[in-house]
Amino acid sequence: MAQHSSKGARFQAVTANRLSDGEVVYLTADNQWAETFPAADIADGPEAGDALMARALPADFELHVLEPYLFEVLQDGTDYKPASVREIIRAAGPTVRLDLGKQADAKRES
Amino acid sequence: MYRYDEFDHQLVGDRVKQFRGQVERRVSGELTEDAFKPLRLMNGVYLQLHAYMLRVAIPYGTLSSKQLRMQAHIARKYDRGYGHFTTRQNIQFNWPALDKIPDLLEELATVEMHAIQTSGNCIRNVTSDQYAAAIDGEVEDPRIISEIIRQWSTFHPEFTYLPRKFKIAVTGHDNDRAAIKLHDIGIVIKQNELGDVGYEIHVGGGQGRTPFIAKKMADFVPKAQLLAYLEAVMRVYNMLGRRDNSYKARIKIMVHETGEVEMRRLIEAEFAKIDASQMLAVPQAEIDRISAYFASPEFETLPATSPALDAAKTQDADFARWVRANVVAHKQDGYAIVNISLKPIGGVPGDATDVQMEAVADLAERYSFDEIRVTHEQNLVLPHIRLDDLKTVYDALNAHELATANLGLISDTIACPGLDYCNLANARSIPLAQEISERFADLDRQYDIGELKIKISGCINACGHHHVGHIGILGVDKKGTEFYQISLGGSADENASIGTITGRAFTEETIVDAIETVVTTYTDMRQTDERFIDTFRRVGLDPFKERLYAE
Amino acid sequence: MPNEYQLMKDGALCQDEWTYSDDETALPDAPTIISLTRLKAEAESLRARNAKLGVQLLADGNGKTKLGEDVAELEPYLDMLSLVSIAFPTYRNGRGFSAARVLREQFNFEGELRASGEVLHDQWAMMRRCGITAFELAPSVSLETFTAAMGELSNAYQPAADDQRGALWQRHK
Ligand code: HEM
Ligand code: SF4
Repeated sequence: MAQHSSKGARFQAVTANRLSDGEVVYLTADNQWAETFPAADIADGPEAGDALMARALPADFELHVLEPYLFEVLQDGTDYKPASVREIIRAAGPTVRLDLGKQADAKRES
Repeated sequence: MYRYDEFDHQLVGDRVKQFRGQVERRVSGELTEDAFKPLRLMNGVYLQLHAYMLRVAIPYGTLSSKQLRMQAHIARKYDRGYGHFTTRQNIQFNWPALDKIPDLLEELATVEMHAIQTSGNCIRNVTSDQYAAAIDGEVEDPRIISEIIRQWSTFHPEFTYLPRKFKIAVTGHDNDRAAIKLHDIGIVIKQNELGDVGYEIHVGGGQGRTPFIAKKMADFVPKAQLLAYLEAVMRVYNMLGRRDNSYKARIKIMVHETGEVEMRRLIEAEFAKIDASQMLAVPQAEIDRISAYFASPEFETLPATSPALDAAKTQDADFARWVRANVVAHKQDGYAIVNISLKPIGGVPGDATDVQMEAVADLAERYSFDEIRVTHEQNLVLPHIRLDDLKTVYDALNAHELATANLGLISDTIACPGLDYCNLANARSIPLAQEISERFADLDRQYDIGELKIKISGCINACGHHHVGHIGILGVDKKGTEFYQISLGGSADENASIGTITGRAFTEETIVDAIETVVTTYTDMRQTDERFIDTFRRVGLDPFKERLYAE
Repeated sequence: MPNEYQLMKDGALCQDEWTYSDDETALPDAPTIISLTRLKAEAESLRARNAKLGVQLLADGNGKTKLGEDVAELEPYLDMLSLVSIAFPTYRNGRGFSAARVLREQFNFEGELRASGEVLHDQWAMMRRCGITAFELAPSVSLETFTAAMGELSNAYQPAADDQRGALWQRHK
């Protein structure tokens, strides 16, 4: 499996897949699971990362999402973006089908 | 084609009901993900990057038009309008919602299909030759014994929790199109000197992290004893195969570590015990019943050549090229085997839309005795087309972008889903296939290069068969960035071989140039009419290596 | 040593008359299950025993072999044994399915065959098909759940150690 662990990473976020339909989701600052990466809560530093991950583990999340994990995020000006190709693709959709996934939803909304 | 009887319907129906209950218990929280995961996997439901994925089995690669139309319906109703044909004669849907999958499976069952044995450490969907019963020189239609194996292996109580997954492939022809030597068990149907039909058995092939070509374990297992022999192989593996390390758990590792001779001894000892009971000798009446479903279609008596075809070829050069590349001789005069390439230039290898699937289903119904085949090279086949109908079929395919004339050529790439979809991927595969096909888009150049099989996997699991590509490409991950490693000289046919890695990996930007370098090295060195694989076998890796790493 | 369990035998919950004994303690004068190691070491004296004897076949974790114990080793002792407990260390390890069939079909063992260890819901029916008649189940499993699971698949394609013959054979009597 591709490494999505984030050893040595400064900024991190938590992602998972939604139980009902597998949709990629992100843990937000108010402990919801949001469908878009910009809504993700960003942890600065390893301790903050662990604390963020700890919030993703409560038993009731087991009812809503699968396999939450931390991944590395990079600062991009005032914004953030996922560090690995894998997480960029999860946040957007297949690069070979720009009409599908979150990238398509975003286009439809704008 | 095989048709379900009440037993088959009942078993598949029971299974759908059982899975519906499991999904309900998962959604209500009664089952944790840990408990549910093995259950969903046993029903072909994976989690990928963006969504769940459902893998549906196409046993031995044969579909009726009704079954293919159902795939189109599923793509439309439960997915996003397309399906992906894989290298193991399965079709994958990339976007189904978990809570709708039981409904999906129920609809699938109405056309006698299911997603059982497409995942998990069980005996998987049996695969076979896409030209079965259409090609000349076949000992016997391999689908008859494949169907018997399918039934014997379905919900096998002893072999559902094996050390690792287990794949069986069957061919009835000396030209192996089912990659049988890369399967856990590969079966070649043979006829002995007395004229009896039996089976040559190869054990321990596989790809993944450590590729192996299967070893021949038995020269000739008589027909009535095949299931006993298979059960012996399975039992020896289940009892003695490693379970301490999932990378060493396939039977290929056991054959390698135990040694061919000892392995044969173990299998034969177990075989003697099992066969003594005669419990697994299938009654002749049942073999006859199943064979009847695969009776030859009622071919018309036709001349071996078709003036209509010849005329069409002179009028339409594109059609002529397509006939040359994609149409294969049929055993019956006046008929041909039509390959439908799912590799349009710049397209996604193996993907077909709902509309395309329906178009193919219509053609099969009208012109091919209602049969479609799927190939391990991710293409489709219309097995029985009259020569006189070729032009009509071609025009209809062409209208749906299904007439790319590139079978077996450099743009007929196998590619796994890779990092665009797959949870285990290190790198993307599909964009690379697209760039290669665009780089070599000129069909005349492709014909000049000749037979050249490129196979791309997005990680070492080797779903894209890169080990056995004439040119294999493996995606690797270096700190979150994609790199690609090249291997050369692999082959999946009756002269199967594992490719050799050329050296350090290439970046996303340089890999297509590197492929071009390999190709020009070949065209510079080849002798008249020599295929890439033959040139490689003659000159070896070094000349390619020199040119690849010259700077 | 097994965890706490309830015994499901021949389709009903019942009191377990058997206990597991370790390799050192003196054996009780009552039905008890010992290890294969002890069985082999003390076979002579065990033959003289009056109370019933059972053995547990380990699938792994005995430290000596990654593979687990070989069912063939039981063959010389079968006349002394009233029970074989087949350990399933995790649901993934299906080695015991083969051991069960070999005991029933090749050694003609007629005593109790029970499944111990981690045994998942949808494995029960398959275990029964391989000749297992008793199940050490988690205390949370109800009789209804068990009975329903046993009936989830109404038929079989292939023969095994039970009396179902399999569709390939059943279609022609
Ligand atoms: C996207 C979801 C998929 C997942 C999670 C997946 C997973 C795997 C894994 C883990 C292996 C290695 C098994 C082993 O070595 O023991 C494997 C092998 C394989 N897969 Fe996939 N795969 C996927 C999709 C596909 C697709 C789309 C194809 C066909 C295009 C495919 C065909 C194969 C084949 C042919 C092998 C090699 C079999 C062998 O090792 O002998 N898989 N897959
Ligand atoms: S080879 Fe790897 S990346 Fe490709 S489908 Fe298989 S598991 Fe996924």
